[in-house]
Amino acid sequence: MPGVEAVTASGLVKRFETTTAVDELDLVVAAGQVHGLLGANGAGKTTLLRLLFGLIAPDAGSIRLLGRPLGGPGSAALDHVAGFVEEPSFYPYLTGASNLALLAKLDGEVPAGLIDEVLERVGLTERAGSRVGSYSTGMRQRLGIAAALLRTPRLLLLDEPTSGLDPGGARAVAALVRELADQGVAVLLSSHQIGELEKVCDAYTVIRDGRVVWDGTAAQLTAQAPASAYALATSDDDRALVIAAGVPGVRAGRSPRGQLAMSVPEASLDALVLALGDARVAVRRLELLVSPLESMFFALSGDEKVDELEPYDLAERVLAGAGADG
Amino acid sequence: MSAGGVAIEGGAAPRAPGLSLDQRVLAAYETELLKLRSQLAVRLLVLVCAVGPFAFSALLKVQSGTPADALFGAYVHASGFAVSLVVMGFAGSWGFPLIAGLVAGDQFASEDRHNTWKTILTRSCSLGELFTGKLLASATVAVAMLTLTMLSSLAAGLILVGGHGLVDLSGNLESAGRSLALTIVSWALCVLPLLAYVSLAALFSVASRNGIVGVVGPIVIALATTLIDLIGKGVWVHLLLIGSAFGGMYGLFTTHPFLGPLVITSLVSLVWIAACVGAAWFILRRRDFLAGSAVRAPSWHAPLRVVAATTVIVAVLAVATNLGPVGITQHRLNAAIGGAFNNVSLLQQRLIGRIAPAGAKLDVQPFCNRRGAKSQGPGDWLCNVYVYLPQLNAVPFQRTNVEYDVSVRYDGCYKAQSPPTFIGGPTMTDRRGRSVVNPLFVVYGCFNTL
Repeated sequence: MPGVEAVTASGLVKRFETTTAVDELDLVVAAGQVHGLLGANGAGKTTLLRLLFGLIAPDAGSIRLLGRPLGGPGSAALDHVAGFVEEPSFYPYLTGASNLALLAKLDGEVPAGLIDEVLERVGLTERAGSRVGSYSTGMRQRLGIAAALLRTPRLLLLDEPTSGLDPGGARAVAALVRELADQGVAVLLSSHQIGELEKVCDAYTVIRDGRVVWDGTAAQLTAQAPASAYALATSDDDRALVIAAGVPGVRAGRSPRGQLAMSVPEASLDALVLALGDARVAVRRLELLVSPLESMFFALSGDEKVDELEPYDLAERVLAGAGADG
Repeated sequence: MSAGGVAIEGGAAPRAPGLSLDQRVLAAYETELLKLRSQLAVRLLVLVCAVGPFAFSALLKVQSGTPADALFGAYVHASGFAVSLVVMGFAGSWGFPLIAGLVAGDQFASEDRHNTWKTILTRSCSLGELFTGKLLASATVAVAMLTLTMLSSLAAGLILVGGHGLVDLSGNLESAGRSLALTIVSWALCVLPLLAYVSLAALFSVASRNGIVGVVGPIVIALATTLIDLIGKGVWVHLLLIGSAFGGMYGLFTTHPFLGPLVITSLVSLVWIAACVGAAWFILRRRDFLAGSAVRAPSWHAPLRVVAATTVIVAVLAVATNLGPVGITQHRLNAAIGGAFNNVSLLQQRLIGRIAPAGAKLDVQPFCNRRGAKSQGPGDWLCNVYVYLPQLNAVPFQRTNVEYDVSVRYDGCYKAQSPPTFIGGPTMTDRRGRSVVNPLFVVYGCFNTL
């Protein structure tokens, strides 16, 4: 059905007693797109995903998944929709393979061998016969992804899919998401690990207090994002500071430990490096501390204006925030 | 607003391709059966249902005592069918509520405890299909447990005691074939009240989202029912209680079977099933599946609230038990005791080798009353049975008085026991020199309370 978006949510409102968790929220996710959902704790990401899965009913607004209106839990609109919200949950007294077999039965059986295939794909073949109660958080996360793959989805809704995974596992999940998107699967990915999102997302929606505060493509984000922060080490840091001050848009300073940190708009980065070279100041290290996405996220989800923060201060705050739950 | 606009090829696909509504319900049913089969509590229950009756029967075999307070209990050393019926009686009071609680009481609450509602609701079955599948699965397992217990108790009784006929609730000795048929029919008639308890357990599970409430709730209700059954003269409240149908089948064990209580209590069971299932669905379909509200750690607060609420309900029902016509009357008990005494007396005569033609009647005049209370309602009665025996001398009749302590239940079934000084001990020697049950020592019977 040409032109059908994977997710179309409009005017969504969800209130819990006196709290409005989702407030007049609009969201569109295109087919084949990996769409990042960003927001601070309590921004409304998980509530939005529960609304999309039909697990809770909106107080206002409408949702269409793969072109079909969403009715409620188990709605027909959830055909070919898979994923999980919050941590994946299974029956602890059943094995991983039995859990998948049970879910496959609810889906009307799956092709022979698919369960083994998805278990192998997420690296759980050896533990498939163990009870889920003995699984680590990361293993349950991988089993959740396997359960989603069983449905041969055309829309994946994933809530913190790399939570609890080691770096290797997180990279594998990111690669899998990208591979599925390349095959035409739309993915809505909620994560607080911005670095993981940047590797795979084509578009982003940033929400705050239940409202969309920014959405657009990755290219639009790079163009509109506040200056990124870099750590810089040169052969002559004092001269580098002076030279940086002369490059338009660049703000430079020292961290409490004396290291150079600079806030540099994407367009000014080349000019800065060339200016340092012209002045025979050797660049020994140029490290990205805060990416455009991170600075945008920080700008949109925090209370302070990112442009007014010292570069190292911005970097420290972003890095400190990266460890928090989304 | 959003970027992109890549079209999805193929458009909306049929839901759970190849599956009809019936097949989706079947899929939900099969998954629930799989889950139930995997649970330790259910496996232990299977073990108890299979082995318990054998253990019970073996225990009776090695001791001389009998569970005489239970209907047919005095005959557990004489007839294997009595063993099965005694097991059924205990099951009706406690076993079936426990089975219902264990198979249905945690079925919905466990989804909250494991936080798995979101897992199954994001597959291809709707909430209604899952609800139906869960109820059907718990009903199936509960009925399977009942069947297993019936088969096990029959096997235990027939192997360890033997297939001799029952003395029925009018004092007549039944054939082995009829005893078997009555026993199987009685077990089958327990299905409806068992399903009523299953529905109640499911309602507790849905409403409380607490497995303890779901499992213990039916047992608490059974306890309350037992207490209420001990009091009150009226028939209506007793007939409307959820477990009342477990006593309805005893009318089949009499010389003139009465079906009124059986029909009414079976209909009452159906009403309980419809009400509990309807209420459970009403609650379930209106709830949100939120992690915060869904995941409630098992606690004893909810069970305590249920116990408190049950206490209030029991108090109200206790007051209401006097409503309606009086079911246990002096006239009815006199008639029942008189007939049963006549029949067991003739049976005793046959056992010791005397000729007692079928249909023979003794001149028996029973007189029952309650000590210190108006002669009506369930409880303890005293019955004097006057027997007039013809004599060939100046006094044409010799009057003999047999005194029975009678314990009458709300459903009109009773146990009458006489001191050994009147009619001998619990056993006697038959014409072949064997020790057999003295049918006059404990007399069981039932009469229609409607």
